[in-house]
Amino acid sequence: MKKRILAMAMQEETDIILARQRSRTLAAELAFDGQDQTRIATAVSEIVRNVLEYAQGGRIEFWLDDGDVPVFEIVVSDTGPGIPHLEAVLEGRHRSTTGMGVGVIGARRLMDGFTMTSIPGKGTTVTLQKHLPSRTKALTSATLNRISDLVAQQAKADPVAEVRRQNQEMMLQLEELGRRGEELQILNQELSDTNRGVVALYAELEERADHLRRADQLKTRFLSNMSHEFRTPLNSIMSLSRLLLSRIDGPLASEQEKQVQFIRSAAENLTELVNNLLDIARVEAGKTVVTPKEFSVEELFGALRGMLRPILIGDAVDLVFDDANDVPLLFTDEGKVSQILRNFISNAIKFTERGEIRVWCEWNQDTQEVTFKVRDSGLGISPSDIAVIWEEFGQVAGAHQARVKGTGLGLPLARKLAELMGGTVSVESQPGTGSCFSVTLPRSMRAANVSPMPQWTVDPDKLPVLIVEDNAADSFTLERALVSTRYQPIAVQTLAHARAVLADLQPVAIVLDVMLQAEESWRLLIETRQNERTVGIPAIVVSTTHEERKARSFGADEYLDKPVDPRVLVAALDRLTGSRSTIRTLLIDDEEVSRYLIRQLLPRGAFDLTEAESAMTGIDMAARIQPDVILLDLNMPHMDGYAAIEALSNDMSLRDIPVIIATSMVLTDTERARLAKAAKIISKFDITTPILVNAIRDVVDRTVKAVA
Amino acid sequence: MEQIPILRIGDCLLVSIQVDMHDRMAINLQDSLTTRIVETNARGVLIDISALEIVGSFIGRMLNNIASMSRVLDAVTVVVGMRPAVAITLVELGLELPGVKTALNVDRGLLLIRRQIDDGAEHA
Repeated sequence: MKKRILAMAMQEETDIILARQRSRTLAAELAFDGQDQTRIATAVSEIVRNVLEYAQGGRIEFWLDDGDVPVFEIVVSDTGPGIPHLEAVLEGRHRSTTGMGVGVIGARRLMDGFTMTSIPGKGTTVTLQKHLPSRTKALTSATLNRISDLVAQQAKADPVAEVRRQNQEMMLQLEELGRRGEELQILNQELSDTNRGVVALYAELEERADHLRRADQLKTRFLSNMSHEFRTPLNSIMSLSRLLLSRIDGPLASEQEKQVQFIRSAAENLTELVNNLLDIARVEAGKTVVTPKEFSVEELFGALRGMLRPILIGDAVDLVFDDANDVPLLFTDEGKVSQILRNFISNAIKFTERGEIRVWCEWNQDTQEVTFKVRDSGLGISPSDIAVIWEEFGQVAGAHQARVKGTGLGLPLARKLAELMGGTVSVESQPGTGSCFSVTLPRSMRAANVSPMPQWTVDPDKLPVLIVEDNAADSFTLERALVSTRYQPIAVQTLAHARAVLADLQPVAIVLDVMLQAEESWRLLIETRQNERTVGIPAIVVSTTHEERKARSFGADEYLDKPVDPRVLVAALDRLTGSRSTIRTLLIDDEEVSRYLIRQLLPRGAFDLTEAESAMTGIDMAARIQPDVILLDLNMPHMDGYAAIEALSNDMSLRDIPVIIATSMVLTDTERARLAKAAKIISKFDITTPILVNAIRDVVDRTVKAVA
Repeated sequence: MEQIPILRIGDCLLVSIQVDMHDRMAINLQDSLTTRIVETNARGVLIDISALEIVGSFIGRMLNNIASMSRVLDAVTVVVGMRPAVAITLVELGLELPGVKTALNVDRGLLLIRRQIDDGAEHA
């Protein structure tokens, strides 16, 4: 029996959509699967489009035939002009201009049954059939009514409105997206606010940390002061108890003796505590000075052995020091290394009842570090307690603790001392089998800043300037400042190297940085001022510490604040050496030895020395080279000094050249009067570099000023 | 009149067809898309039909047209997100889309376009 489910007329384009949507809905209701729903809807779409296109309207009916083979039937009919070449269309020979030329044939392929009749002038009818899937339940009329109602209801909705609705939905989604974007922005804002908050919090934390640091400093100062205060009365107690025990003031009853012994040992314990406290306070206050020196581990072990043997009680515990012959010499603070090891060992002794305490040293060539280890066969430390033992007063609670008392300061002190020397401490321990404490230290505390002695060759065309600067970067800056000047920088990084350079050559100036070890730097400066050979070398002190007055009081000729402007440095060098470096000095002396002496005394580079063996040649030379100063001997054959000075003053071109008389004679007043034209008279007896240099500079300066 | 929105992503245009298009809409889309390609100098066109349940011969022809037009305008067209049911139906319908490249999703579509542009640049 055939039942009509739905019928609708089609007039406009949007009806195509309506028709195919309905066919899809119906197919779905009739339990066709998704693929068949699409097939049916597509086929309907193809046929309906043709109807609208060729007949400008028509009608679609949906039927259900529940015969032997249940069939869903769709009949599309129009009253248009009909299809004149139906055959061609059905055979696929027709070329459509709208579709892909597959509309009708394609639709036929998609359906199970397809008939198309067309009467020219009357219209066309297309019947599409699809077998119902077997799972479709028997369709009662009630079901069919429900389906048609459903579809009719949907039909009320205008398809255009449907499209609009969907578009609106999309707009809503876009809006939603926009809102999400805004939300994100707000979130972002919140995050950056939070960030600001965190930054503010950090500042606050920093402030708190500062407070804590100050409190810590206060604590350290308190500790250090109090410990000192404690020591005095403790000393009294110890000495007094010692006095009592020595029975100088009469005998003690045995009970009394015991009591005094207790007083004494209590005082000793307290002293140890106070000493440790004081040490820690010193380290924390940065007052502990590390004084590195060279020593061998073998010697250190020897000393420790002697010190610690007496502490061992009984024979139950052995203290063994391993051979340390293969460890190279160390350059660090021996006292502090010894203190650390003493702390480790006495600790080990305290907690080891029987067995062995072994001390050895390992040398690591690669890292240039030594590791001292102290292993005991004592109680051991549980892992949870390991962190505690390095803290001040951090003692491990345990059965053994009741018997053995420590100050709780030994290990923290060891740690602090090790850190002071650039090292670390560590411990490995197994409860019950023992602990192994170790301290690792750099072999040499100077290793970091030891640089090889710089190599240089003196450039004969340049004036050597010694630069003493430990900071490589600053040194580089200073050297750079002198590039392409007439100075040759010779940079060294240590005072030892500076001394080596000074022993080797005579620079025209010294540029001295007041280094970390300021005292040493000042000492070098003072040394150069006291040494005859170097006193004439102008010294320029550069520093960040604004110590001009100090520098000048130690004899510096110039003081420059760091960072040094290259031009200022060169100007200073020019000023200090400039005129002098080109002080052309003519030496007139017949004695080879005297000439040699003065040649040696005058700093090379600062003086350009020309020598003449007689007054005659000297005067000729003076006329030729126009020296800045003439050093004149008095006692010479043929023409002596008196005559020479006379001759010089009579020559217009030579009369302005200052003359210094250098003589080994003791002059009478008359003789001095004869030499009134000489700028200065110096004695060859006690001639030294400073005397000579100062005399020449003095005279030249005066002449320059007079000329100016 | 409803419009299918055309979005610009870099030098590509994205057309996401979310509604069951009627024929005039499809023709409008053709027009506005070609205009936009010229306006934006787009090098690629992505047509997302993942929401379409029915692609008939008309839409098929429209896609083909768009592909041919954009090729003339030096843009590569890729149809993405075709549902399996739609694909099967298209084949059964006997509809071939010779000028239309397809990709599984927008990401792959963009990659395909990028590769095509690069290849084109090499050959040029």
